[in-house]
Amino acid sequence: MDLLDNLVFGFTVAFSLQNLAYCFVGVLLGTLVGVLPGIGPLVAIAMLFPLTFSLPAVPALIMLAGIYYGAQYGGSTTSILVNLPGETASAVTCLDGYQMARQGRAGPALAIAAIASFFAGCVGTLLIALVGPALGEWALLFGAAEYTALMLMALVASAVMSQGDAVKGLAMVVLGLLIGVVGTDVNSGMARYAFGVPALSDGVGFTVMAVGLFAVAEIVVNLEQRESREVYTSRITGLMPTAKDLKDSSWPMVRGTAVGAFFGVLPGTGPALSSFATYMLEKKLARDPSRFGRGAIEGVAAPEAANNAAAQTAFIPMLTLGVPATATMALMLGAMTMQGIEPGPHVMLAKPELFWGIIASMWIGNLMLVILNLPLVGVWIRLLRVPYRWLFPSIIMFCCIGNYSVNNNEFDVYLCALVGVLGYVLLKLECEPAPLILGYVLGPLLEEYLRRALLISRGDPTVFFTRPISLAFMIATVFILAIMVAPAVRRKREEA
Amino acid sequence: MVSGCACLFAPGAPVQAQRYPDKPIRVIVPYTPAGTTDILARLIGQKMNESWGQPVIVDNRPGANGNIGTEIAARATPDGYTIIMGAAATHSINNTLYPKLSWDAVRDFAPISLVAVVPNILVVGNSLPVKSVKELIAYAKANPGKLNYGSPGTGSTAHLSMELFKSMTGVNLNHIPYKGSAGVLADVMAGQISLTMDNIPVYLPQVQAGRIRALGVSSARRTPAAPEIPTVSEAGVPGLEAVTWFGLLAPAATPKPIVEMLSVETARILKLADVHKRISELGAEPVGSTPQQYAAFIRSEIVKWRKVIQDAGVRLE
Repeated sequence: MDLLDNLVFGFTVAFSLQNLAYCFVGVLLGTLVGVLPGIGPLVAIAMLFPLTFSLPAVPALIMLAGIYYGAQYGGSTTSILVNLPGETASAVTCLDGYQMARQGRAGPALAIAAIASFFAGCVGTLLIALVGPALGEWALLFGAAEYTALMLMALVASAVMSQGDAVKGLAMVVLGLLIGVVGTDVNSGMARYAFGVPALSDGVGFTVMAVGLFAVAEIVVNLEQRESREVYTSRITGLMPTAKDLKDSSWPMVRGTAVGAFFGVLPGTGPALSSFATYMLEKKLARDPSRFGRGAIEGVAAPEAANNAAAQTAFIPMLTLGVPATATMALMLGAMTMQGIEPGPHVMLAKPELFWGIIASMWIGNLMLVILNLPLVGVWIRLLRVPYRWLFPSIIMFCCIGNYSVNNNEFDVYLCALVGVLGYVLLKLECEPAPLILGYVLGPLLEEYLRRALLISRGDPTVFFTRPISLAFMIATVFILAIMVAPAVRRKREEA
Repeated sequence: MVSGCACLFAPGAPVQAQRYPDKPIRVIVPYTPAGTTDILARLIGQKMNESWGQPVIVDNRPGANGNIGTEIAARATPDGYTIIMGAAATHSINNTLYPKLSWDAVRDFAPISLVAVVPNILVVGNSLPVKSVKELIAYAKANPGKLNYGSPGTGSTAHLSMELFKSMTGVNLNHIPYKGSAGVLADVMAGQISLTMDNIPVYLPQVQAGRIRALGVSSARRTPAAPEIPTVSEAGVPGLEAVTWFGLLAPAATPKPIVEMLSVETARILKLADVHKRISELGAEPVGSTPQQYAAFIRSEIVKWRKVIQDAGVRLE
């Protein structure tokens, strides 16, 4: 099958009435939840994915993907209107988007965000269709040694490249590793750190971690603060950007898409980093950098394009390698496993309807987002006016239902509450939960592959350097480390 | 220990078999939804519902290699309204693997009926120059310690089947455990590991596509799903038999007439053409047995796996 056949096949899957409906429901729910304060794609998926349990695999994943873009986009809306990012990636959108809104240009800002996202979504979808299958065949060459090297690179990249304090980032990764190794050891079959609790012998569930660290902790922090959210609705004038706006943002949109697509594919980096990187790039390229942060439309178009392109290409390593590029993708991975699909190189070959159906539905989902969001801005704002005292009990209730329904075990609900306390402490200490989640997901995988590679090689560690793909990842790991260490070294020298 | 707890908590009044069932029946599935255990429970439950007019609710209680759900079933009220779809792991292997479990597969359960058996298939990667079980044994003996076999987990029937194979043939193969069968399949296909003897459904399509080679099936008779593949027993290891199985059980103190009713009904359902077809599609063979036959089968399985586990020195606690 060539590309065109594959895409046609995908669209026939996605255009079935059932799948179209689930895609729409996903996008709608995702947007609805995504505009809620403090709730991004990760929490949205964590909260809503039990809804897909009873569905067959294809519609379930199409709906989850819809929730994912929906939540991502919903986060941009609140970033622009009320300076409230739904997630890390849209924090950048706040910088200029909120300023535009204060100048009464919320309409063009929202519109350009939608257009940029849609453009990036189209390119991202095409890219997956073009490069995804090639990566998939290539992925069959991945043995335990290659996975080990890849995981190592991802872990180093996520620890070192995450914004903020590098030491705290590293500490969070290590904490994540420690939580990740709870459960049955693959090699010996023995339970580790389970303290005799049978429910812990399968480890700390991902829903428990995601909901506890993000949703529960966030709510506790919000409850501490007095309600002081302002809503700028009165001055939204004119929805559409002018011709000059479009001209100004066209190249930033293209560059943002390119940057985002690149970072999206790299496991461990993801959309958040891509929007920061592209914002910095635009600021460097701009003739008048001082406009940034004061309502420059490029400052909205580029990061919005970047985070959506990254959101799309993040599916490539997950669908073809079974490697989650972001914490959100790790959740999607969990959802796939729950559907009885062991993610990995074989998904594309064994389940073409799933792979191509999801790709086609990505494009449809992006289109639905544009159609849904532009006319509905007014509705979203009204939803934001729901007093927090009504909002948070419902969110907590959803969290409990979600956690219980994973294993039908109330232990998970208590554990989630405990993780929520941990998340609150971490927020107070200004430690980011994202590296923790990545350590939690990647650490046990790294251990599993490392030990398997060494078992197969009879304990010979040179396998990581004699196999070409593994060697390439090892070199890249050293390279990433060097990039990060170099500026620090230079600074030290200047100080001296 | 908490011996015989099922009896201690039983309500005084015996349930009358004549009125059974007059309320919904709960089938505990100690594994996640959509697995073989779950699908079998739903298939049988749906047919019971149709003939008895009472809903049959599948209650998934996954975790700890099936031990969480099995413990719940062992302690449930023994009135016939809670039964469990057990499996080879929960009811013939785990008590030996985890000696500290609070329940016992024989003491705490009244067997209802064996439902289905799934043979394991012995497959090798295409790069391994062997075409039969005898050639495999010869190759492994000529290259001691060179061959790696994969299994979906330590203590799984795939792991223990291969350990049985090793002890019966005297060859030396290294165990590489995975998390689930898909990883094993991918690595056998790519030649990262040499072979496996795992549940047939995952592997058969790849055998038929020519990406891996089947040497034999581990059941006593050839499987209807692929009658051209010999049994391992006839191909060079006489007497090797290792299957994964699934069957219904009730808490030990459940009234005999109710267990009998459930057994007869299960056997009837397993003979239905559409049920037969669905179970065959899962790569399994529908069985259906009396409580006495099933109890004898479980006891012989426990003895067989205990010997394999002890010979291979598998310890999980």
